[in-house]
Amino acid sequence: MTAFALHIPRLETDRLILRALCEADVESEAEFYASDALKFVGGPMRPDETWRAVAMLIGHWAMRGYGFWGVEEKDTGTYVGHVGLWNPHGWPEPEVGWTLMNHATGKGYATEAARAARAHAYDVLGWTTAISLIDPDNLGSKAVAERLGARYESLFEHPAFGTMQVWRHPAADALADGGMEAYA
Amino acid sequence: MIDLQIPTLRTERLILRGPEARDFESFAAFFADKDHSWGFGGPLDRNGAWRWFASMIGHWVLHGYGFWIAETHDGDVVGFVGIWGPEGWPEPELGWVMFANAQGKGYAFEAATEIRRYAYEVLGFETLSSNIFPGNERSVALAERLGAHYERSFENVSHGTEWVYRHPNPDQLSEAQK
Repeated sequence: MTAFALHIPRLETDRLILRALCEADVESEAEFYASDALKFVGGPMRPDETWRAVAMLIGHWAMRGYGFWGVEEKDTGTYVGHVGLWNPHGWPEPEVGWTLMNHATGKGYATEAARAARAHAYDVLGWTTAISLIDPDNLGSKAVAERLGARYESLFEHPAFGTMQVWRHPAADALADGGMEAYA
Repeated sequence: MIDLQIPTLRTERLILRGPEARDFESFAAFFADKDHSWGFGGPLDRNGAWRWFASMIGHWVLHGYGFWIAETHDGDVVGFVGIWGPEGWPEPELGWVMFANAQGKGYAFEAATEIRRYAYEVLGFETLSSNIFPGNERSVALAERLGAHYERSFENVSHGTEWVYRHPNPDQLSEAQK
């Protein structure tokens, strides 16, 4: 028996639950990635491509010990997107990432979930710093990064995804209690 | 918490076990070799190979089956063989890849025979097919050696035209083994 215990902790914020991705999330993600507003996050993608992307997000946990969570509203259970910690092969360094479904933007969910993910990285995994990679034209995502206290640092050229901006988050020791106080 | 248990299977010469992070380099080398990986959607660069490898682990989580790593009893990794049914596939297939250093030894036949047995006896599959790129004569020969026959061609959503080889079902297989 090869036992993979993928320790995907469940995190809670005021309004959200971050938990392991599952098969049911594929449908929401497939609908989202089929829409044409997706140029910032690698879309649009066919349903089979989205399925493989979700499988990859789950496998990343086995490879790295951290990854993306599926995020849902605490009150309704509605799936709102995937937010987490991401460092596939070829990434410049580990990042805090967020992708919200179209219906879930404009509510501060990305900021709320990313703050919890970053606190996990700093307080539990022992990261001392973190970045976020953002498409230069993705104004919404830059606003989230700013709300998280991150600052533009440099450009990163990815062989497949092109130019991305590197935003640097406040270091772990600059955030008392990993920033958890912001929603505690 | 996802508790993923991948059973270890044993054959006369091989151990079939779940993929682990340490196996990535073998996959990167395989996918970098165009002559060898063309029948499997390759070539892929290292970034692409890493993502494919991670999705292979996620496939186990989503479906409860997937590719096993085949290694000798001495621990030499020789390839990967398993049941593969990502979104867009017409049905789950029995698939095999032997790495360059391990071809021509009958390992793929040995591993595929055991995994087909596992699929029928443990997972309860009632049929299995294998999707093969037109012209991949090595794979066709193995499919035929496993008792499979050409059934039809179809358009694979991500790789274009492929041939479907149909394996004997559980009843036909037990009849053939009498």
